[in-house]
Amino acid sequence: MKHPNFCVHTAALGAAVAAICAAAPAWTAVPGIVGANGPQTAAFLLDAAEGYSSQPDGASVYSWGYGCASAPTGYAPAAMTAISCGTMQIPGPTLIVNENDVVTVTLINNLPVAAGPTSILFPGFDVSTTVAGTQTGTAGVLTREAPSSSCDPTTHVGCNTVTYTFTAKGPGTYAYYSGTQGDLQVEMGLYGAVIVLPNATDASISSCKRGPFSLAAAAYKHPQSCYDREYLFELAEMQSSIHDEALAQKQACEGAIAANPTATCPLISAKTEPYHPNYFLVNGRSMPDDMDASFAPMYPQQPYNGNPHMHPNELVLIREIGQGRIQHPLHIHGNHARVLARDGNLLLAANDKLSPLAGGVPRLAGPLIFTFPSVSGQAVDAIFTWTGKGLNWDVYGHTAAANIPCVPDANGYYTSMAGAPNYGEYCADHNKTIPITPPDPQIVANGLWYGGTPYLGLSESAALGFPSTPLPPGTAKQNQSAGYAYMWHSHDEREITTNDVFPGGMMMMLVIDPPSAPIDEAK
Amino acid sequence: MCKYRLVVGALLISAGLWVCVPAQAQSFRVQCPDKTALHPGAKTDKGSIKCQHIAGSDGFATMADGNQIYLFGFAPLSGLEDIQGGLPGTELASTFNKPYSGPIVADLSSATHPAGGNVNAAIREPAMLMNMGVLAANAPAPLIAIDEDDELYLTLSNVGMIMRPDLFEQHTVHFHGYPNASSYFDGVPDASVAINIAGSFTYYYTAPDAGTYFWHCHITPPEHLQMGMVGQLFVRPRQNQVPKNTSLRDALVNTYKHSDGTTYDPCVADVLCSSPIPPAQLSPVKQPAAGAKYAYNDGDGSTQYDVEYPLQMMGFDPNFHFVGMTFNPEAFADMKDKYFLLNGRSYPDTVTAGVIATAASDGVSRPAQPLPAAIIIDKTHGQKRALLRISDLSVTEFSTLATVGVPMKVIGFHARMLRDEAGNNMFYDTNSITIGGGESIDVILDVSDPAYTAGQTFFLYSTNLDHLSNDAENFGGMMTEIRIL
Repeated sequence: MKHPNFCVHTAALGAAVAAICAAAPAWTAVPGIVGANGPQTAAFLLDAAEGYSSQPDGASVYSWGYGCASAPTGYAPAAMTAISCGTMQIPGPTLIVNENDVVTVTLINNLPVAAGPTSILFPGFDVSTTVAGTQTGTAGVLTREAPSSSCDPTTHVGCNTVTYTFTAKGPGTYAYYSGTQGDLQVEMGLYGAVIVLPNATDASISSCKRGPFSLAAAAYKHPQSCYDREYLFELAEMQSSIHDEALAQKQACEGAIAANPTATCPLISAKTEPYHPNYFLVNGRSMPDDMDASFAPMYPQQPYNGNPHMHPNELVLIREIGQGRIQHPLHIHGNHARVLARDGNLLLAANDKLSPLAGGVPRLAGPLIFTFPSVSGQAVDAIFTWTGKGLNWDVYGHTAAANIPCVPDANGYYTSMAGAPNYGEYCADHNKTIPITPPDPQIVANGLWYGGTPYLGLSESAALGFPSTPLPPGTAKQNQSAGYAYMWHSHDEREITTNDVFPGGMMMMLVIDPPSAPIDEAK
Repeated sequence: MCKYRLVVGALLISAGLWVCVPAQAQSFRVQCPDKTALHPGAKTDKGSIKCQHIAGSDGFATMADGNQIYLFGFAPLSGLEDIQGGLPGTELASTFNKPYSGPIVADLSSATHPAGGNVNAAIREPAMLMNMGVLAANAPAPLIAIDEDDELYLTLSNVGMIMRPDLFEQHTVHFHGYPNASSYFDGVPDASVAINIAGSFTYYYTAPDAGTYFWHCHITPPEHLQMGMVGQLFVRPRQNQVPKNTSLRDALVNTYKHSDGTTYDPCVADVLCSSPIPPAQLSPVKQPAAGAKYAYNDGDGSTQYDVEYPLQMMGFDPNFHFVGMTFNPEAFADMKDKYFLLNGRSYPDTVTAGVIATAASDGVSRPAQPLPAAIIIDKTHGQKRALLRISDLSVTEFSTLATVGVPMKVIGFHARMLRDEAGNNMFYDTNSITIGGGESIDVILDVSDPAYTAGQTFFLYSTNLDHLSNDAENFGGMMTEIRIL
């Protein structure tokens, strides 16, 4: 329980998990589905269905999730080829649309009869449930609902569906989730995200360059929302006893109907208070599963991972959504992030007539944060970067004798030579030796994400008087490029556990790879 | 634990394979140079070399209901006199490197120190280090404070946890909130190295931009933080050094200069700009006096304060601590704090002046809780604005702190001034703030209004009303007094 090295510990839980840990590192952008079926329109056919989520303690937790009722129109980002959308997944499919698209989402209720009706809320949008002048679905408390699958779709075609239509007015990140018996249905996994991309031709961002794995070049129509990479983290928690209770009642209902086809079942009534969650999730997975690849076959119903990678000096867009019912303080090691927006609302300085930004766009007003104080139902977009500026030692371990150039740009960084081994370095610290004598590597414990030396990209450096790190034989090194690793995790530290076992839960590692190591997010 | 032993065994085997590597064989080693490339000792040096030495250790503290509670914690091994006076244990290298000549174990709590002794010097001789570090954990961990332009050498020595001889626990230091952190010095054991028993590691950083940060161990965080390995750290701004009668805004603008002498807007190139330039002022705010103190490089004097109080919100689950002392595996999901603390104390201990000592299991009384949480504003002697540097290291829940009588002005969040990129202050007045573990917030209490007079007492307390308890006592908890003298 005490050892910090996840995989060594986890290996003790089961050889299968150890194999996962030993697998090649994997990272992915923000995969999702697109629904373009004409200019400025997007249509999605989703369902809600039952399944099981896989947890690293070996548990399969009975869950409900949204999924694709049929193959979607397409997927994004285009650079990702191993991408799919099943009929049930947690979180639900990420819906990727363009600004001002008219978005139509038709939901089929394929949940078990005992679950009753279900629905989707799209907070932040003006939603209509009318199609050609006719209300779809049935009346619910917060929105129209898709009736239970107990209606007979063979005789009443479409009787278990509801259709939501809205215009994706503003760019940004938005949550969607069940608006029916939310204390149970959201707990069971009925939540997902909508991402609205800005008009790329807008003058304020037309000079931004889109990264190969990015959905867009910028998050908003604002030059300081340009980004090189992006990651979506949907934070949630589960109390597995609620899921067990729901499963038992569902099975009892199915048993009753099997015995008597005309039997009716009561709706599932699980005890959702007092609430003591024991699983804490990033994109439906617990550490270390969240650091496996997106769409990894081990997690057929939890396709999205949480495994951010970047290069020094890159701008990373973090899209964070609180999908559970409690707050989670997600601490990001490495640097501050600038909040761009909450729930798609860009936070701008008021009356900024002196703005030097392109087109006179007002400057940003969102706070700088080192912890996302995630709020239930709220989406936050923020820009993160890391340059190493101010460390007062050369993170690459370069010395004057090595004669490696670092030519500062106007801001002090080496950006004139693409492909340089120290591309993006803060030149004022170039060639400076580390100001302490590191301890003998044999008297300290070495982490699995430790590159082997204090330096970025160097796993050993005998010339610098630093022998490579002796790791226990047979252990898998998680950080082949000797990048800098930073833990991003809930600072309610009891949440970095999986059903009472540390390590686990709401935790992942950001790896800043050296410029020489390519980051293929399509893996 | 058996899994852990396997790993240790593997490490030993691995070490055996490495006999060809010349063994350096040092174990405890404290690093604090007198001179560096940045601080060669010239008159033009900006800032200074600061050093601090701490032990990863264990010990006991006393809760407000009289119960003693077992801690995993950090013990001070430098700045002992300062720490017992409620001050940071961060010392100038010249002080740190003197031979220690303060009290030894038996009279640690003695208020009388040898006259002229170097009580703030580092304890570095291995036997003395063990004697002074074992069972000497503090709650909260020793206070760290530096100024912008300083270099900090922080040495952590792991003296083991004598109450848990079955554990081989490593310890680390995480500098929480440090911008552009190096993963090597970040304290995450998975991403760097962790310090074994009888080993030392020296963390190095130049001071980051001014603000209220904090620090903690990063080994098995739900356990080591809950058990008490949490402390406070803040960085004072360069603006404190601006000469009298100099425009604060000019001083700030001049820090954003290209090599050709032209100035620039820091926020255009850097989306993480920490000190945006405030709008030009009709009559520029000037440094009123040498020694004026600010929370941030504000350029407009808006974060000036007269007296500062670091306050750390924290919770202890006595059941977890008892299980942690008695060789049993702890449960994480059911963790439930019952003591709600400010600076390691619950009310009424929060307003007890001076150290609170606790007799540890060896019968020796040690000053385990050195930091009161009383907020004292000496208006009679000109103090009007108190800066509260509030950090939260609870591992279980978000909490709200409220004041009655004196509103709070929130000026900073997560070690950054609340200001938009255009330079407009986004401060706000409120009676309550809510933060979770891993967050910090800066608040100014202003009693300049004549309605506030000497002798008045107000309260700062948690409005999560169940937090106003000391385990079974339904009075106390996360509360302290604001006293106007």
